[in-house]
Amino acid sequence: MRCVGSGIHKLLDSGNGNDRTRRERHMEAVLKNLGSSVELLAVAAHSCVVEQWDKQTLTRAFHWAHYCENLFSRFHKNAAIRRIMEKQLQLTNQTLGATFPAYSEISFSDLSQCQHLLLVGLLNNPDLPVSIIKILFDSEKTAHAKEREYQDVTGLCSRIVLCKSACKLLSPLTDLSAVGAADAEVQGAMLMERLGALLSQGSEACEPELFLDSILQGREGEAEHFCLVIAAALLTTKNSDAETAAQDFLLDWLRKKHKLLQHMCSSLPPKLLTKLAKEQQTFRNSYCEVLKKWASDMEYSVTEGEWVQTGTNQTVSFQKLTEHFLALFSTCPSQRKDVEKELKALKLYDGYFDVRGLSVWGDLLSALNS
Amino acid sequence: MSQLQLQRTAEEPLLNIQQMQFWLDKAATWGQAESPDLQKDTCLHLSRLRDFLQQLLTHIESMSSTTETMKKLPFLGQFLGRLCWNPCVTADGMSRKLLFQCLWGLHSEHPCNGVERKANQWIRKVFCQLVTEEDDATTCTLIKHVGVPPKEYHLEVLRKTVAMLQENIGKSCNSFGDIDQRCSCKRILATSEACVPLVTSPEAAPLIGSLLQLPMTCVRAALSEDFLDALSSAYSSQCLSLEEQAVVSLWYHNLSSLEEAVLMLMESVLNNTESTPQRLEQQVAQSLLPKACAQHCIIFLVVNDIFRSLLKQAEGIELIKCLIQTFTNRFLRELAQQQCQASVSLKAWFPQSPQGLLVPLLTLPSEMPQEAWRRHLNWLSSSLQRLTEEEEEDGEYGESSSSTSLEGHHKVFEAWFLLVQCAHWVQVAAQLLVTSGPEDIGPLLWLLTFYHHPTNGGHQRGLQLVRVKEAWDHLHSTFIVSAPPFPVERLQSLIALLSPQSQQPTSFILSLLVNFAVFSQQPLSGSTEIFQTVVDGSGLVDEAASLLSSLELKLNGGSCLSGDANRVHLRIKALQHTLTRMHTAASHAENPAHTYTV
Repeated sequence: MRCVGSGIHKLLDSGNGNDRTRRERHMEAVLKNLGSSVELLAVAAHSCVVEQWDKQTLTRAFHWAHYCENLFSRFHKNAAIRRIMEKQLQLTNQTLGATFPAYSEISFSDLSQCQHLLLVGLLNNPDLPVSIIKILFDSEKTAHAKEREYQDVTGLCSRIVLCKSACKLLSPLTDLSAVGAADAEVQGAMLMERLGALLSQGSEACEPELFLDSILQGREGEAEHFCLVIAAALLTTKNSDAETAAQDFLLDWLRKKHKLLQHMCSSLPPKLLTKLAKEQQTFRNSYCEVLKKWASDMEYSVTEGEWVQTGTNQTVSFQKLTEHFLALFSTCPSQRKDVEKELKALKLYDGYFDVRGLSVWGDLLSALNS
Repeated sequence: MSQLQLQRTAEEPLLNIQQMQFWLDKAATWGQAESPDLQKDTCLHLSRLRDFLQQLLTHIESMSSTTETMKKLPFLGQFLGRLCWNPCVTADGMSRKLLFQCLWGLHSEHPCNGVERKANQWIRKVFCQLVTEEDDATTCTLIKHVGVPPKEYHLEVLRKTVAMLQENIGKSCNSFGDIDQRCSCKRILATSEACVPLVTSPEAAPLIGSLLQLPMTCVRAALSEDFLDALSSAYSSQCLSLEEQAVVSLWYHNLSSLEEAVLMLMESVLNNTESTPQRLEQQVAQSLLPKACAQHCIIFLVVNDIFRSLLKQAEGIELIKCLIQTFTNRFLRELAQQQCQASVSLKAWFPQSPQGLLVPLLTLPSEMPQEAWRRHLNWLSSSLQRLTEEEEEDGEYGESSSSTSLEGHHKVFEAWFLLVQCAHWVQVAAQLLVTSGPEDIGPLLWLLTFYHHPTNGGHQRGLQLVRVKEAWDHLHSTFIVSAPPFPVERLQSLIALLSPQSQQPTSFILSLLVNFAVFSQQPLSGSTEIFQTVVDGSGLVDEAASLLSSLELKLNGGSCLSGDANRVHLRIKALQHTLTRMHTAASHAENPAHTYTV
């Protein structure tokens, strides 16, 4: 606890003496509460004490978990306080790890989902009395739902089940090709918000990048859903400089992730791709690069009488490639001139023959103009 | 379980085997794939499934142990488990509740064998998975890294989906009548079908509201009947959380919920024994029905039909007449506001009313100069009189065709119904009677008598007219001609007219008394004295109080305001005050007696 105290000293140096002691005491109380709340989470998940829990205990537990969520949203942008809290968590984690063998550590970012962690812990605890499960899965009261000021744990799970089921029921009805999926849009907006916060708080330069990398986590090749999320993020309306900065950062990051970018270009619905190309100049350029890369990877197959991809990625046919270019030209007509100029140069490099099957660039040019 | 109980179960099984098999098959089919057709089938079976789950729950609860239940219904766990992963079932509030109750019913507090221990474990696992399982690993990682609680995340996705669908269905085409034109309006039907389990969910309410309010401009843009039925039954159990305008649209689409709403209004009015005119006005306005009627002619016609049949059954009940008057008054005000936007002929709203009387009766007294009131009322009275005479003649001479007689009867009823709806003219007639001389009262008295006694059974109207004329003479000579001290015998004869044994139309005479007390030129002190003595003597304090406040409301409403409004208002207040004092005195006098009897 002593090292934590010295941290607060440094943090609060600017205040006068009285103010300082008051704030120090406050911070100590906060840290104590944080420690106890994390202990509570561990007890809820791993101890047989929950057998004795009743509705009141349950409500209080959720109250403390909610308190931790508030701590997260108040301090996650404050690097100094965050460090102090991380230290406190480390201490508590050590003690709890020694007490409960199955304990999994709580990190600072876990605090944002404290109520959920509490819920998961409780539901996985074999000693949880069925009376508590009944409270959580009770039918929620629909009336006065809006007036509920402090959250009532009764029906908490029932509400979650309702939301999840309703989404499953309704989402097939949304028109995917036009607007994208609702979940991807929500995630895209959340991604932008978090990225914007990371960029604006002036944390270490690598942090926003680490954040994006950690979400991608080796799923580069099959991140179908993540592609939709990124598209939605890039299409969120920019209301502030922070949001523009976040989108620019994301575009920049994406440019370096070749595999992901290629995956995006081959898996996203064409309408969404052209919309993105129209809205974001950087993406348009990257998109063109990917298309040209696909073309350069093609070889003429004499047996099929068609250009085919040689690499491992054989999802894009010559026909499909042409369609991509044409869709891009129809939304961004200015792009046509530049691309055609480039293709002509490449055709020239190949000898400028007007015979099919000799130069992919020449054949692409004639396909685009037929 | 005792032998007796076993016997009972054997004789009248709670669950029918065939039925069980039907639902097992259904659950298995629904669980096979996530296809729109299967989803639709589930939505359409929801209300029957709820009944079945209720039966199942009763069955589970009647068993002594889970082991026994599992022996009787070995596929039960599989069945419930399948339903838990069917979003249609778990989205529907009632099905979800019953499903969870069935699962709890299978949980053993003290498991006594392997089967029960295993069942307990399984039940816990199902509950845990229902909340924690995510379909997509990327989603899981993403919301964790972004730092958003899953509960908020799911709620947000639902709101977003609802908003997207709202936008989607808003783009309905405008190809009414052109069946060949291709359009995507079929999605409206599909969306309304998917909303069947969600009718009570507040989060889906905006979408349901949009569906109900869609302009039906395309033949394919129909709402599913099951959707409307689900809404209707949720409406009658008061589980809907829709906005006002959406409720109006529901009434427009669904007759039974409209009927339900009218019945609820009537019940709330008739059950409220201490109903005041102010309260009635409030209840009517809160019911939203007058507004809905002004928006959709068809709603007004239905509501009016219900009122019509109610009046036929209970013509004499004053409260019902009050309800209809208040309702129509409110409706006319709403209509006047609406009409600013679009003008529809009044004939469309009152197709059955005698057309010649329609505009004269619907015109508010405040809409014409006060000097014209008497002539207007005389005209109304003679027109109505002619109508009734025609009917009676048909009845006497036209017996060869009973249809003509029925038609005449119908005409008179419709004229009277319209008069009940437009009772502002009845009030003006009563008011004018006070200031009229004996030579002018004939048409006014006839109008009021017709209002109070529309049917002329046994040719009673003539007799009623004589009695009312007699009462008017008494009141006139007391209020207009006399000055205090009032002769006791005159007041006594008024009391006698109002006594229940008098064979007189007492409520009619009492309303005349109230109007005389308020509108006559007799000084307030004199008026109060007569009023107090007569009301007290006849024991009609509550009735008089109700008439006074109803009169006050009508005058405040402005529909029949007289010139000296301020004076009238003060007099009403003073008379009300007198009645309140009488009431207090009476209850003081009664209380000791009560303590004795108790």
